[in-house]
Amino acid sequence: MTLALDALLALALLALALGAVAGAALFRSIVMFIVFGVVLALAWGRIGAPDLALAEAAIGAGLTGALLLVSYRRLVRTTPRRTPRSRPAARLALPLGLLSAALVLGLGASGFGLEDTTTAGAGTVAVPSTAGQAVLAEMASLPLDNPVTAVLLIFRGYDTLLELTVLLAAYLGARLALGGSPPLSARSAPAALPMVGALLAIVVPLSALVSLHLLHAGSDAPGGAFQGGAVLAAAGVLLVLSGRLRAIGSAPTSQRLLLVLGTLTFLGFALAARLVGAALFTLPGMWAIYLIESALLLSIALTLVLLFAAGGGLAWGRE
Amino acid sequence: MSLLMMSGSGAVYLLAAAGIIGIGVYGLLSADHLLRKLLAMNLLGSGVLLLLVTLASRGGTPDPVSHALVLTGLVVTVSVTAFALALLDRLYRETGEIRIDAASDDPPDPADPADAKP
Amino acid sequence: MGLNDIASTLLLAVAAFFYLAGTVGLLRFPDVHSRLHALTKADNLGLLFVCLAMALLSGSARVAALLAVVWLLALVASAVSAHLVARRALQFDPQAPAPAEHRAEPPA
Repeated sequence: MTLALDALLALALLALALGAVAGAALFRSIVMFIVFGVVLALAWGRIGAPDLALAEAAIGAGLTGALLLVSYRRLVRTTPRRTPRSRPAARLALPLGLLSAALVLGLGASGFGLEDTTTAGAGTVAVPSTAGQAVLAEMASLPLDNPVTAVLLIFRGYDTLLELTVLLAAYLGARLALGGSPPLSARSAPAALPMVGALLAIVVPLSALVSLHLLHAGSDAPGGAFQGGAVLAAAGVLLVLSGRLRAIGSAPTSQRLLLVLGTLTFLGFALAARLVGAALFTLPGMWAIYLIESALLLSIALTLVLLFAAGGGLAWGRE
Repeated sequence: MSLLMMSGSGAVYLLAAAGIIGIGVYGLLSADHLLRKLLAMNLLGSGVLLLLVTLASRGGTPDPVSHALVLTGLVVTVSVTAFALALLDRLYRETGEIRIDAASDDPPDPADPADAKP
Repeated sequence: MGLNDIASTLLLAVAAFFYLAGTVGLLRFPDVHSRLHALTKADNLGLLFVCLAMALLSGSARVAALLAVVWLLALVASAVSAHLVARRALQFDPQAPAPAEHRAEPPA
């Protein structure tokens, strides 16, 4: 019975992917891609990755969709200037696509056949990788209950630190690419509608509450700084779309500080451990984890909203 | 073939991941409009992430290291998408075109009527 | 099958009917405003029955309360979205074809 549900989800994913790539109108393709993100979030839930489901729904479907639609609005004035020539790459597209699918299928199927060769002692759980095995064995000694959060913050701290740096680099790169000038204006200005005001009054405080809850729950249940940051960023995107927040050329010092707060806090703790003589990235306790995650939440939220607003900083009110 | 050894759901999602990757590659190569290329690139990324997580869940307990890696991958994907959209905006502002043909450096083809000088 | 299961299966069947009605309306109605009717009214009712069925199946008051909040938020979101779409649609002549940028591009 559950196989039928999974098969339906998989079919929906494939159909939506085809629609996104080969759709007739570009707008339709973008919408299909957004729905693909939502169905993918369902698939993550089915596979047993609820943290990923939360993150995909907020970041993958929500934020990416908003980015794409706003960009579409700005770029929609293009008209086909010439008939496209049949490029050599386009002729190879179908065979290469089929070849990659077949290759991935073969690799994946053989991956499924791999047996875990570590000798699991009595009482250990069967996890399909040695790294995962080691992580789950260590979990008992940690104050955290959610293994994904533990991996992100404690076992693979470098990855998280560099991920924050990638976010920051994307923001800086986008600023450089835009050349300091504001992006092409979307065509219609946001209207001051009472319904939008009511929506904001309900949704923005709730989003803040949900994001804080996700942050707090991330230690024991699915959640964490990234999911919380994404939900807070969604509220910020709503505020930008309805005209309550607007992008300005350069950010005030407080916002610049917020942008780097996550990276600096994590780096600070990592290096401070070295000063005390412990290994890099050793965290002194749950309080350090809470502090780092809160800083991460704020930085991620602000960076995502700035990436959406395509500006250097944010200011309240309209022009 | 080891395909028969895995659970039904795993096989289904593996097929889906392979299909999505194939569709992504096809879209990346055949798309003319740069925004479509970006969509195909995102699809390709999502397919790869789906493959990773499907492989991570093939045992009894899902593997948390893969989940953390995929979470990182999701955030990196959105960063790259946002940066790419900024680049597209700049490209459109500089050249006025958003199709890969028009923005290329190929010399104008005398046989193509659209290339004729106005 | 207990009474709970039968009741929730019935509720899910009703929800499926409402979603089907909404989708048929989305596909078959001639213009934006009637499609918005089908979408918001039928789909929200369908969501209500899904939430009722899930609340019955879960058997916990906390889950039922959370589902009620989910439904109310979906209601608010769809109301505002429908309002904005309808306002925008009014700016275009309803009898005219879709604006140029939304038409299908020439085959690339």
